[in-house]
Amino acid sequence: MKRPAMAQPVLTQASFFGRVRTMAAIGIRMMFFDRLKLAGTLFGVVFAVLLGNFQAGTFLALLGKNRMFVENAQVDVWITPPGTRQFQGGKPLTDSQLNRARATAGVAWAEPLVVQTAALQLPSGGSEPVSLVGTRRPRFVGGPWNLVRGDTRSLLVPNGVIFEDSEREKLGGLNLGTLRELAGHKVQAVGFTWGLLPFAPAYAFAEQELAREILKVAPDKHTFIMVGVEPGVPATVVRARLQDALEDTRVMTRDEYMKEILTYIITATQIGLSFGLSTFMGVLVGMITVALSMFSSVIDNMRQFGTLKAIGSRTVDLALLLFTQAIIYGVLGSIIGLGAVAGMVEGMRNPQLTPVLLPEAFAITAVAMVGVCLAASLLALVRLIRIEPAMVFR
Amino acid sequence: MSAPAPVAPAIELSDVTKTYGSGALAFQALKGIDMRVEAGEFVMLIGPSGSGKTTLLSILGCVLSPTTGTAAIFGEALHGRRESELPRLRLEYIGFIFQGHNLMSALTAEQNVAVPLELRGYSHHAALVEAREVLTSVGLGDKFKKRPEELSGGQRQRVAVARAIAGRPPLILADEPTASLDAESGMQVTQLLKALCTERGHTVICVTHDSRIYHLADRKIFLEDGRIVPEDQAH
Ligand SMILES: Nc1ncnc2c1ncn2[C@@H]1O[C@H](COP(=O)(O)OP(=O)(O)OP(=O)(O)O)[C@@H](O)[C@H]1O
Ligand SMILES: [Mg+2]
Repeated sequence: MKRPAMAQPVLTQASFFGRVRTMAAIGIRMMFFDRLKLAGTLFGVVFAVLLGNFQAGTFLALLGKNRMFVENAQVDVWITPPGTRQFQGGKPLTDSQLNRARATAGVAWAEPLVVQTAALQLPSGGSEPVSLVGTRRPRFVGGPWNLVRGDTRSLLVPNGVIFEDSEREKLGGLNLGTLRELAGHKVQAVGFTWGLLPFAPAYAFAEQELAREILKVAPDKHTFIMVGVEPGVPATVVRARLQDALEDTRVMTRDEYMKEILTYIITATQIGLSFGLSTFMGVLVGMITVALSMFSSVIDNMRQFGTLKAIGSRTVDLALLLFTQAIIYGVLGSIIGLGAVAGMVEGMRNPQLTPVLLPEAFAITAVAMVGVCLAASLLALVRLIRIEPAMVFR
Repeated sequence: MSAPAPVAPAIELSDVTKTYGSGALAFQALKGIDMRVEAGEFVMLIGPSGSGKTTLLSILGCVLSPTTGTAAIFGEALHGRRESELPRLRLEYIGFIFQGHNLMSALTAEQNVAVPLELRGYSHHAALVEAREVLTSVGLGDKFKKRPEELSGGQRQRVAVARAIAGRPPLILADEPTASLDAESGMQVTQLLKALCTERGHTVICVTHDSRIYHLADRKIFLEDGRIVPEDQAH
């Protein structure tokens, strides 16, 4: 019998990408082999995604409510009472301030705005407050937007007031042409807006003379002064000039005002903190779930990981295996979670407080969750590194 | 066409010791082992429990470093190696068979056998082709897609044999491969291992307690209390 050829050392080795492929395939198969653990882990990620997006979305909705007026009014620079941090009046501004604003270089126009709460008499006998906005003809800056019935020019109808459509029932069944008493003054519904619901009572709009009569605000007192700048002049430049010219006011460009409201909500109220904290808790719970599940998977499969090491995988290879699992948990959990969030938000579409889901939220969530899962996998990795390949003989 | 026979012996150990732990807890499991195995030999390593068989096998398998002495497989020194070099040595030279089958429970038979092949740089496809070929040669030609839980103990151990010999690493190390099997399957698996390794030119070190399979060995090495002893002095 011929002596067989002896087996020779195997000198080939997998490339990095070959190892990634092999380890990823093993990782995925292990994940889907233990379905119960897969479901449990995904539940953790989905929980974090749901909570995070609901918190962030509700915060954005809240922010939107506080900023909607500044966001929608076609105003470049706002002159507000000193210390203003929200869209809320304070000490009234004066006619002399309005005139000085008009005389400032770079100012194309300056218009006063009157905003104050007024009670609308209901047929049932009670009353409901509205935030009545007095906007001046003919420019109607700070006037109604998002109109579903009537238009801004409807405010030229004597005693005409535009109300919020989604509040029609609450305001006692308003229709076009309905006559009501607003702070003791006869008014007529001449149009409706949609979704103009700040946290204060819903906005209602009237021509400024009518509004001043209803609200009993003198013609030379203004809640805000709104400024449009001349073409080509930066709003910030005009803002600086106005601030110099007008003491006892706070002057902000539109963008600055928007930012100020955001800062106010985050810093001066507990809202930012509480939303941030609950988002953090949700993400933390998700992360802990993933970390424990991956860790216990390593413990459960200790011999198998030890065997992988013994037959020639290095620790980096096993890290690749865990990272693949982490990435898949993050991506799958994000897809399922975001699908659920989108479905739920769609189901609760109303102008009250629907969480706002920005398209960016999807990308941010997926990236964040993959990051969270990768971080969570480090616990398992630490355990994996400590596995001695010699253990498989024991 | 035949590869040139390696000049160096498959295994050459000289005065190898292994001490576990240190200080008062230090325990010397190997107390000076001299051993030489030629390429192609089928050697059985026999000895009572605690005599150091697994320790010796672990050193040969590059999962443990000797405390003192020199060790080489196929002329490649194993002592004084950095930990990070060992995985490469294992891939290059060694196929392992463990007491338990130690298969990945999430992988099918062919995927299990393909793992060490892919680590050696086989393409996914080539690894599967080779895995099926080897599985067929261990008599599992109809079990490619079965997971370990769907196989009997003897079949699992045959998958483990296939995983060890796939890719033809020169040295096969088996630590009581029949311990978890009944006498019948144990005998079958050992016979299979012997036949395949002879045919394919593997050198085999097989630890066993089972005197019924001793006759399959080309040579028996007896270990007692960390030392190699002649057969007539073995218990
Ligand atoms: N990691 C370790 N730390 C400390 N002592 C160890 C370790 N591994 C083995 N030993 C000791 O070394 C001695 C030899 O162990 P080894 O596992 O090599 O024996 P063995 O011949 O394989 O025994 P068995 O037949 O029971 O498997 C034993 O006394 C054991 O307790
Ligand atoms: Mg042993």
